[in-house]
Amino acid sequence: MRQIVATAFLLLCVSTMGASNPIAKVQLPCESRYQELSPTGTQLVVHCKDRSMRVVNVPEGTERRVFAAEQHANAFAYSLDGSWLAVGFEDGTVELVPSRGTASSIRWKASSRRIDMMYFFPDAKALVVGPVDNPGQVWEIASTPTLRGTLPFEFGGLIACAVSPDGKLLVAAGDDTVLRWYDTATWKQTRENSDFLLETFALAFTPDGKHVLAGGADARITVLDAATAKQLRQFPPEAGSSVFSIDFLGDRQSAAAVYFDDAGEKPPHGLLWDIASAKSTALKSDAPLTCGTVVGGKLWVCSADGKTLTMSQCE
Amino acid sequence: MHFTRRELLERCAVFGAVTLATSLPLSALATAWDEAETKRQATPFCELGPFYKRKAPNTSMLRAPGDSGMPLAVSGVVYNTRGEIVPDAKVEIWQTDKDGHYDVEGYRYRAVLEPGAKGSYAVESVMPGHYPGRVCQHVHYLTTAPGHKPLITQLYFATDPVFEGDPDKNFHRDPLITSRELVRPVMIKGDPNQIIAAVNFDLVMETL
Repeated sequence: MRQIVATAFLLLCVSTMGASNPIAKVQLPCESRYQELSPTGTQLVVHCKDRSMRVVNVPEGTERRVFAAEQHANAFAYSLDGSWLAVGFEDGTVELVPSRGTASSIRWKASSRRIDMMYFFPDAKALVVGPVDNPGQVWEIASTPTLRGTLPFEFGGLIACAVSPDGKLLVAAGDDTVLRWYDTATWKQTRENSDFLLETFALAFTPDGKHVLAGGADARITVLDAATAKQLRQFPPEAGSSVFSIDFLGDRQSAAAVYFDDAGEKPPHGLLWDIASAKSTALKSDAPLTCGTVVGGKLWVCSADGKTLTMSQCE
Repeated sequence: MHFTRRELLERCAVFGAVTLATSLPLSALATAWDEAETKRQATPFCELGPFYKRKAPNTSMLRAPGDSGMPLAVSGVVYNTRGEIVPDAKVEIWQTDKDGHYDVEGYRYRAVLEPGAKGSYAVESVMPGHYPGRVCQHVHYLTTAPGHKPLITQLYFATDPVFEGDPDKNFHRDPLITSRELVRPVMIKGDPNQIIAAVNFDLVMETL
């Protein structure tokens, strides 16, 4: 799924939210249709057309790390504080790369299967790893990472997960379409929700930790009670689309959701949801953008034209 | 007349056509040969998603009257790696329509099949289209059975234009195709006014 989306990823530039203020121009080492921006806005993973992946400092444009195409780096995740970049490889290896300083990387074989998704705990002390078609894994981050828990499914592997703001609860979405609740102290499953017929691709806790937002192939965001795992309400669907990501903004009341077209014919589009009213505002674009993330509570987006990338902050 | 390997071995031994360069008795050798004959390699894994949908209808007819696209008939048998039929398997199948679109709102081109005691299944469908973001035409399979590992795989077609007539050489053009074995030959059947693409795809499950 992530591969499919990555090849088609074109986030739209925000204009109806207000002006988008240019922040920086970065010279990229290669032509790229898709990048991943760190939550601090100081680093980019550049997906190059030659299939290499290049970690670039912003705004200098200097390369910090290069993963050649034959290394098959497949999945990337930044810790929320931006201190770590996790890289998952096709052969099941995971590498933790310090985003700053000269410390060494930590590398280990997590699985024999390709790593498809990764997710950092909010405190960056643990990393969830999703090998394709295998149970999810929870690794405690140390010089020698330790496997602390596994997240099994009826079949298939891990698609998405989210950890509550207090770190006590993890919700995992699997290929089997079931959402499972785990106590992070014991790694025992405490609840589940099997109301979904289709896959969930994105999960997010509300900042107060009381609710979980789930979005996926059913084209809509569903609000669940974090305490009971029960569905509370659903936002109106975006017909023909799947929810790919959900990120809360700094006001703690609104979330940016990116939808991709199921038929793959139209570029992805974004909606800004007010959680209380379940009303949305379309994120319209002037130009196709190639990355987006929430930095300091604001939505940052970028647009690549050849090897020149422009980063903007959406007000 | 058709002989099993065991019968052939016994007859050859009777006529002195086999010199047994082994200390095994003939019956043990025959049993070992039989086992070697019936053992099957597990069907290679090929990833599940996206757009799997629970609670698909129990039907063998995925094609509706008037559906455009090349009619497709897929059949096969569900075995375990010992070569035995798995009688209580459940086979879930889903694919795009001829234009490469998945139906996520309903259940078009989705089915659950229960092969039963004979282990055989058959579906009538249309040749799937090319889904954007994927290279090749494909049909998704999720096969489950008590005491067996869930088998997640995909069926591909040797006639896919992507292979340019040489799937041996070109099956890697779709990076998700894990094995040439998943690319199946396509037989064209029927009369010129009603041709059907027929494909055999046996499923071999691993026991837990």
